[in-house]
Amino acid sequence: MNDSHHSAPPDAGSAVPGPAMVEAFAHAAGSIARQVPGGASGFKGVLLHIHVAPEASFEMEELAEAECVAGRGIVGDRYYEGTGTYSPKPDTREVTLIEQEALDALARNDPPLQGGAIALAPGDHRRNLTVRGVPLNHLVGRRFRVGDVILRGGRLNFPCKYLEELLGLPVYLPLYNRSGLNCGIERGGVIRPGDAIELLDDDGA
Amino acid sequence: MTARVVMKLRVEAARLATQQVLHLTLVHASRPELPAWEPGAHVDLRLPDGRIRQYSLCGDPGDRRTYQIAIKREDAGRGASRWAHDALVEGAVAHVSAPRNNFPIRQAARHVFVLGGIGVTPGLPMARRLAAEGADVAVHFCARSASEAPLLAELSAACGDRLSTWFSAEGRRFDPRAVGPYSEGACLYVCGPRRLLDAVRDAAAALGWPETSVHAEAFQATLDENFKPEPFDAKLASTGATLHVPADRSLLEVLRDHGVTMPSSCELGVCGSCVCGYKDGVVIHRDAVISVADRQDRIAPCVSRARVSVTLDL
Repeated sequence: MNDSHHSAPPDAGSAVPGPAMVEAFAHAAGSIARQVPGGASGFKGVLLHIHVAPEASFEMEELAEAECVAGRGIVGDRYYEGTGTYSPKPDTREVTLIEQEALDALARNDPPLQGGAIALAPGDHRRNLTVRGVPLNHLVGRRFRVGDVILRGGRLNFPCKYLEELLGLPVYLPLYNRSGLNCGIERGGVIRPGDAIELLDDDGA
Repeated sequence: MTARVVMKLRVEAARLATQQVLHLTLVHASRPELPAWEPGAHVDLRLPDGRIRQYSLCGDPGDRRTYQIAIKREDAGRGASRWAHDALVEGAVAHVSAPRNNFPIRQAARHVFVLGGIGVTPGLPMARRLAAEGADVAVHFCARSASEAPLLAELSAACGDRLSTWFSAEGRRFDPRAVGPYSEGACLYVCGPRRLLDAVRDAAAALGWPETSVHAEAFQATLDENFKPEPFDAKLASTGATLHVPADRSLLEVLRDHGVTMPSSCELGVCGSCVCGYKDGVVIHRDAVISVADRQDRIAPCVSRARVSVTLDL
């Protein structure tokens, strides 16, 4: 991976430079994960929902299709624009994903460590992509495709108290270790709900 | 600032409740239902320049489809209400936070309200709820005249003979002693301009109301009611003196204690009287007056603080 430290966003037709992003495989977590074998293979998942928020704290809005820009993010999202809550802090957050299975578990109060079941409406979790059949925790340091777009797993997402406060729901504990995946975009393009999601090997496209 | 989801709401209806007060009916741009709220709650309205203004919800909490707010045009103000009156026409989109309630209905044997002018907004749903529950409630509504009293018809319909109106231009200036003597378990709610709040507090104290029985909602530039102040040190560039600012005191107060006299007026971070320069340090800006560009080197010591330490150009 000779391009693994490449982080300059390509010109997306915007005169405004993108926010500081840490390239996924240069991230402290992703770079270590790449040195060991792993990455569940053979799965075939599906993209269920795409959500973006125009600014920090703004409600997420569902999109029927979205343009992913390599090195920068999803057009229209706060982390693409650099207006996110955590934008001032360089990190890997071009695209965030969460498993529908994790949301299903919250909805059935499984495991029952909090007061009761927690129903998170689509987008309330504030991750960009809701996916099914994708083992996100296995994809740090791995490449995978969503439709024609290629993503790189940079680090595990973790829940934040900010989300708890924003939602007024005790989601911190139940989301712990299944909060999703923060990714960089290796190859941009347009994604849509229904797109297939598969692991790629290091050379394959 | 406390996190609350910001929604894009569409102005479904805009009408003048009085010549100065714009009444807005807001609906979600895409969802059928808005977050639930209780009487006394307010929302934040985000202005295009990033400023935030708080407005009490004055509609019916049982109506989950719409929010209603009323905005008084303050021509002498800092532009927020003028912007709202000009920009928030039917069909316009407003950026509005989910509601929060700092002024809830209390458990009380008797509820007395004093509402001044636009201060009627939280009081209307509160009084309506209490009246519907058959609670012991009395409402005093003060304004210059009936035609300048926003939501008067709604308040009158909700309260009936529990409502007393005080219109100064009609020779009935509000007498704060009208709140009457304190009775066991009673609760007094005051909402309106600062001078009304002060007058009612003084009168209530004289009439035996314990401080804890009086609840006031002032409309002011508090941006983040859940902000937790931390202690920090302020160094004076001129003398090198270091002053400790405890968590429960403002930088302005500590400066005054040490003989550094500063002009000040509102002490709410709105007027800008006490603004001074600073050099190094991470400042937690909590004012509503210093522009973003100037925040690199200007601080409002009445409300703003620092992380650990700051050096002031004093």
